[in-house]
Amino acid sequence: MNVDEYISSGILEAYAQGELTEQERAEVDTNLGKYPELRKELEAIEAVQESLLQKAAIQPRAAVRDALFAKIGGQTPQARVVTFAQPDKIAMGWKFAAAASLTIALISSYLAYDYWNKWKKTEESLTTLVAQNQRVAQDYNRVNQRLDQIEDDLNILDNPNFNRVVMKGTPNAPGSVAAVYWNESTKEVYLSVLDMKQLTAESQYQLWAIIDGKPVNAGVFDHNFTGLMKMKDISSGAKTFAVTIEPKGGKDAPNLKTMQVAGDVVKV
Amino acid sequence: MASLKARQRTALEYLYDHYAGALLGVISRIIKKEELAEEVLQDVFLKVWDRIESYDATKGRLFTWMLNIARNQAIDKTRSKEFSKEKKTGEIGNFVNRIDKQGFVEQRVESIGLLQLLKGLPEDQRFIIDQHYLKGYTQAEISDEFNLPLGTVKTRMRLAMKLLRKLLVE
Repeated sequence: MNVDEYISSGILEAYAQGELTEQERAEVDTNLGKYPELRKELEAIEAVQESLLQKAAIQPRAAVRDALFAKIGGQTPQARVVTFAQPDKIAMGWKFAAAASLTIALISSYLAYDYWNKWKKTEESLTTLVAQNQRVAQDYNRVNQRLDQIEDDLNILDNPNFNRVVMKGTPNAPGSVAAVYWNESTKEVYLSVLDMKQLTAESQYQLWAIIDGKPVNAGVFDHNFTGLMKMKDISSGAKTFAVTIEPKGGKDAPNLKTMQVAGDVVKV
Repeated sequence: MASLKARQRTALEYLYDHYAGALLGVISRIIKKEELAEEVLQDVFLKVWDRIESYDATKGRLFTWMLNIARNQAIDKTRSKEFSKEKKTGEIGNFVNRIDKQGFVEQRVESIGLLQLLKGLPEDQRFIIDQHYLKGYTQAEISDEFNLPLGTVKTRMRLAMKLLRKLLVE
């Protein structure tokens, strides 16, 4: 038999539509058993037919459903047992199997829906958690950097080669205090601001070292930094450190009228 | 036993809720009168309830099986005395199991989605689908009524169903 020709004849459509005679039906049944392609084709035809008829559905009035299930409910269990269970246990088994498989289908579609919902919720929580995790990681990095900085600062404060020079407020800024940590042998200078007022955006503080009576630029800074700030190296011989207010970026020579804090180096 | 019965009932309720509309559509195309069609629908589900064990899944879909029961039940009804009486009170003459085209059913049937879908078919194929699935004619009746060779009806039906398979996926 040529399967393609058989399919093209439209006999499977006629079969699905219940249009064949008993004899023709029996023939198709036989062929369906022999050729899996026919079975596949029939399934596709039946699916189309079902979709079409579902789209063309006419919903019965609710009273029809009530009446039907009232009729079925009215049948006593005994009557059902007599009808089905006793004459044919196999038939009963089939009926049970059909009912059971439908029940399973119902339960599994409910479960599928339920799991889908849970999965959506889980996905949302996951997105939130990933975002939180990133935030925590960023915070951790920031804290870690800060800790490294504090450790570095502590090494300087602990180092006996660093000379601490406290600069107290001048009459210009009686409340201001800052300190310089100066290692005379390595020339390193670190600055710590304890209390200095905020400046306008156009100006900056500038640190000076006074060597042989002459001011030497040690770098500019803003009032708001934490910990120690590395300044320019200052070679030996500095007697005094002082801070003035200069235009942003600093100047080559200090405007001594603006001196904020100053302190002499005390050799230990 | 009681629990088995309860489960069977649940199964039947499931079948009813999924298929009653589609089956009433089929029945209504054979029996126009609403109450009578709904009565047949009830009979169909009582038959399904009684005969579910004779359903053979290897021979096709459960829906196809129920569809055949529905169609046969509806045709049987048209041959019953009750139907003859109903028909006779309304109109005189032959009461074949056919529809008067002014019937109320079509208006309720033709959902926009379905019409849209059928628009994807060539004219001659749409005609066959419309006559069979929406007007309730068998292939043989279409052939008789419209003077088309049965072979032509069959191949057009075949082509239409094949094309609809694609259109339904889109």
